[in-house]
Amino acid sequence: MLLLALLLIPAATAVASYFARRRTAMEAVNLAGFGAVFVAALALGARVLAEGTVSLWNGFFYADALSALVILLTTSVALVCSTYSIGYLRDDQQSGALGEDASGREQMSQLRMYYTLTPLFVFSMLFMAVANNLGVMWAAMEATTLASVFLVTFYGKVNSLEAAWKYAIIGGVGLSMALFGTLVAYYAGHSLSGSEALSGLNWSVLAQHAAQLDKTSMRLAFVLILMGYGTKAGLAPMHTWKPDAYSQAPVPTAALLSSAMLNCALYGLIRFYILTSRCLGAEFPSHLLLLFGLLSMGVSVPFVLVQTHYRRLLAYHTIDHAGIMTTALGLGGALGSLGLMLHMTFHTIAKSLLFLCAGNVYQHFRTNQFADIKGGVMRVMPLTGVVFLMAMLAIIGMPPFSLFQSEFLILRAAFDGGHLLTGVLFVLFGTGVFAGALLHVGGMILGPRGDAPAVARRPWRDGSLLALATALVVIGFWVPGPLLELIRGAARVVSGQ
Amino acid sequence: MLMMPVLDLQFGERIVTLMAALVLVLQIAMVAQRWIVIHIRIFAAQSFFLAMIAATIAWYNHAPHIYIAAGLTLVVKVILVPILFERLVKKMEIQEEIEPIVNGPLSILIAGGLTLVGYVVAESFYRPDEAGLGHNALAVAISLFLIGFFTMINRRKALTQVLALLSLENGLFLAAISLTYGMPLIVELGVFFDVLVAAMVLGILVYRIRESFASMDVSRLRRLRG
Repeated sequence: MLLLALLLIPAATAVASYFARRRTAMEAVNLAGFGAVFVAALALGARVLAEGTVSLWNGFFYADALSALVILLTTSVALVCSTYSIGYLRDDQQSGALGEDASGREQMSQLRMYYTLTPLFVFSMLFMAVANNLGVMWAAMEATTLASVFLVTFYGKVNSLEAAWKYAIIGGVGLSMALFGTLVAYYAGHSLSGSEALSGLNWSVLAQHAAQLDKTSMRLAFVLILMGYGTKAGLAPMHTWKPDAYSQAPVPTAALLSSAMLNCALYGLIRFYILTSRCLGAEFPSHLLLLFGLLSMGVSVPFVLVQTHYRRLLAYHTIDHAGIMTTALGLGGALGSLGLMLHMTFHTIAKSLLFLCAGNVYQHFRTNQFADIKGGVMRVMPLTGVVFLMAMLAIIGMPPFSLFQSEFLILRAAFDGGHLLTGVLFVLFGTGVFAGALLHVGGMILGPRGDAPAVARRPWRDGSLLALATALVVIGFWVPGPLLELIRGAARVVSGQ
Repeated sequence: MLMMPVLDLQFGERIVTLMAALVLVLQIAMVAQRWIVIHIRIFAAQSFFLAMIAATIAWYNHAPHIYIAAGLTLVVKVILVPILFERLVKKMEIQEEIEPIVNGPLSILIAGGLTLVGYVVAESFYRPDEAGLGHNALAVAISLFLIGFFTMINRRKALTQVLALLSLENGLFLAAISLTYGMPLIVELGVFFDVLVAAMVLGILVYRIRESFASMDVSRLRRLRG
């Protein structure tokens, strides 16, 4: 029932928003819906901790610690973003960013689209996390793209059309490879499952019989899946849609894309990694993952260094972190898996916080360029400035923030596992990103005050900023017991121990 | 005498092979096609033969769930998507020709080469002990997939890229029915739903790109860089 509630609540939220007449009604419906789904995710986490796995309808829906963690992260980001977007979209409406029209009808339809598609987007992400059938998981992943394409074109500008086109086409090609991979995996298990065709693609069934799967087919399947879900995760060289989509989409959507959807794409990859490593041994998938992971980290370095556009900077940062997590998955073992899960949790908080800060800065200065802001964010908008700087320090892995711990853990996994080259490159690329990000963002936030006007009160946006910032600081020193237990459980699912 | 062959497995194999060959020929015709409306109709014809292959395999293997997949192909890819796209073309008043990046004869040669690759890859899946239909079809499926990729790269017009993406998906469908006699029904339904929604979403996007750029030439989408 709990699993069903996780899907029904966002679906109902979307329907209710679609039929809502007033802006305040849409806001309230979204807030209530995402609040409820967050509570359901907490309940699911508690149940998974108590019972191990939860399944429904003969194993059609299935959740273990890994799915529960991904769901918890998705719903918490969604809740914060829905709070934030109330203030964000009201500001857009007042400042005319939604386009001027006298009757306000067009603005209303734009808002309706946003408040309807966002719950649908979250719905498809949650569907992906609770689907046991790998084919259904694929369909849900494709649905995340379809639901978010028109969120990317929200502002209807020429640039956002270009971004959405790249996003839809590159995503579509990537996912067609993922579908092929899913199909080949089905074939690999087809000969053994025989007549029970309905559960033949169920992950839990395939994972039990992983050793008997056809080895050649699984090899091909994993390569295709890595390319496919890797495209959705934005691994290099399939990352090119990412900076465009993240910089053109409304900020709350970008926050969802860069944290929750990244997690979902990695989640799909992890599920196949588990199957493949049980079937072929960890060596084959691990080499490929390390290659793509390190490549993504490496590719993002020059772009971070020369970036002039702060939302694109954050996007390249996400590519870097997708690379870090893929590398962690490639390192595998108890240590690598734990590092991966911790990093996923910490990155989700820090990256969505960064995007929300960037949104605050953008709405105040109305420019995306570092050069036009010329420093002084800290003095104009103290809260945003402090939080932005803090989140930036956190995400580049400065102690005492949490991402330092997870990156350190991943690094230890690299050296313990004898992956010397991986460890060295990891440090090297990390340093490059560190320098680039600190240089740009530091320059924007610190420094003397420019001639920007004073900031108005913004309770919705600053409230959500504070909530995430508090979570980021607290989690650096103390991870709540049940959450840590869930993370450890998820890591055990990944490493198979 | 006329009724006999219908029950013969070898005869079924021949029908499937023949229709798979037709599907492949249509895919190559798409590579060289210069008019967008004809491109859409070739896609519809290709999807029609695909549905027929699915129905044939369903008949010989007594697998009723493949009939549903065949019916869905017929409804979604032969009727709905082509109608949708032809309307779009009419609404946008496109007259201009499709300009491929690589010229016609060379792209056909490349498509031929990719077909060869498809056959080589499909060999590794061939299991002589496993009697069944559609092992030629797998080679065709992989070729469709590869040629679809090539067409996507080779085209500048937004709508033709969408058609190439859909023909690539046709390759996947063919692979699914020839490898495993289709995916589980629920997956099949999900995939068809996604294809239909994707066609609509991409159609709307194409229309809006056309409005904003006064062209669907995606090589003009070059403002976002770095």
